[in-house]
Amino acid sequence: MRLEINDISKSFINNGETHQVLKDISFTIEEGEFVTLLGPSGCGKTTLLTIIAGFQQAEEGEIVLNDKKVVAPGPDRGFVFQNYALFPWKTVRENILYPMKQLKVPKAEREKRLEELLKMAQLEGKGSLYPHQLSGGMKQRTAVIRALASRPQVLLMDEPLGAVDFQMRKDLQEQLEAMWIKDRTTVIMVTHDVDEAVYMSDRVILMSNEQGKILADLSIPLERPRDREGKKYTMYKQQLMDLLGNKTIKKKETIYQVV
Amino acid sequence: MAINENKIYSPREKIVKNVGKGLAYNIMYKLITILLAGTVWYIASWRLNSDLLLPSPFTTARAFLNAITDEVVLKNISITMVRVFKGFGLSMAIGVPLGFLMGFSKIANNILGTLIDSIRQVPIMAWVPLTIIWLGLGDGPTIFLITMSGIFPVILNTITGVQNISKDYYNAAKTMGASRWSILKDIVVPATLPDIMVGARLAMSLGWMSVI
Ligand SMILES: Nc1ncnc2c1ncn2[C@@H]1O[C@H](COP(=O)(O)OP(=O)(O)O)[C@@H](O)[C@H]1O
Ligand SMILES: [Mg+2]
Repeated sequence: MRLEINDISKSFINNGETHQVLKDISFTIEEGEFVTLLGPSGCGKTTLLTIIAGFQQAEEGEIVLNDKKVVAPGPDRGFVFQNYALFPWKTVRENILYPMKQLKVPKAEREKRLEELLKMAQLEGKGSLYPHQLSGGMKQRTAVIRALASRPQVLLMDEPLGAVDFQMRKDLQEQLEAMWIKDRTTVIMVTHDVDEAVYMSDRVILMSNEQGKILADLSIPLERPRDREGKKYTMYKQQLMDLLGNKTIKKKETIYQVV
Repeated sequence: MAINENKIYSPREKIVKNVGKGLAYNIMYKLITILLAGTVWYIASWRLNSDLLLPSPFTTARAFLNAITDEVVLKNISITMVRVFKGFGLSMAIGVPLGFLMGFSKIANNILGTLIDSIRQVPIMAWVPLTIIWLGLGDGPTIFLITMSGIFPVILNTITGVQNISKDYYNAAKTMGASRWSILKDIVVPATLPDIMVGARLAMSLGWMSVI
């Protein structure tokens, strides 16, 4: 797996005013990496992620996955939506089987993969529930394993824990990490939470509010599971917050929690 | 790794629990309504004391019992019911596909929308003479009128249903390799179903109202 983001630019026109959201964004993602796109609200993270997914097109530049240009959504890129987008008329089981049926995975294999995924997400025995019967955390885990069901090359997640309250969030980060350690699919996750980025990722790509550019591309080679109180951990966090602070100090609304 | 989850009812438990409760309450409320209305009716008829102006609830009930045991009346009721179901079926059979078409295509919505909006303005009774000329005297005109009164809520609700489907569902299905056919069958239809049911309920009750 190799994913190239090459010189992506995108702007929107709001009330007659052109707003450059992304400007010449480039980076490459290697097999097995857990990469986070971190940046303040409105800086273009979702826009970039949905361009990679093929939900919308960039004005300039291209996305190349394994030497093939991305032009539309496809099962090689799994997507976890911010609001999960589980099909409410399907049970957990049917939601997860759906992508495998579309890809014509043989029945025996489908069932085997389903059990494997439910186990990985600690959802054994919950297959016959409907999404509205699940807790927030269970919905989130269902959305992740549904996206993994078709064995995508890369998993794209848009603030998968954005809708969860602060206390719950840490538990869910740990669950998500545990799932990822078992699965090891390449991940690009969007977040605006510095702590979440440092806890989860091998690499943090920091986006700026101002010119739609990348501020920093930081490796976090800490062992997992990580100690949130650890010295190096706090250092990485501080570093990211400093980088953000310098650039966003003019904008009053700082959304970063110093924990 | 702590998982903190509240007790969750299985679908079956939930349905049984809610239906049981809902049904009992429903019956209770309906009984109260009937009792109240009956009392007011009885007092009014007793004060007026005229079977011509306002027969008492008991006289009416007796007449009703006589009617529903009368073969001719029963036969007429069954004819009406068949007509209502035929008209309802037609308004669903035409309205749902039209609603899908108009929900998906802006062009279809613009062209058909204008047409439908103008036909919709025609008072239902104004169709009567025309339909008798077109369809003769039998079942035809009645079924036509029932269809006419039911078709618009079906079309409009189906359009709303289709247009309100979240874009995320389409995108999710596409990242799962779904074909166009599967998107229609597995996403669009089930997502629109609740709105189609609203349209169907309206069509059914309007259908009954327009047979009188
Ligand atoms: N479809 C769109 N039309 C107009 N403006 C948009 C659209 N999508 C996003 N934007 C604007 O682009 C900016 C970045 O949005 P987004 O990518 O959602 O940010 P983030 O996910 O980082 O919070 C925002 O200012 C937003 O208002
Ligand atoms: Mg976003």
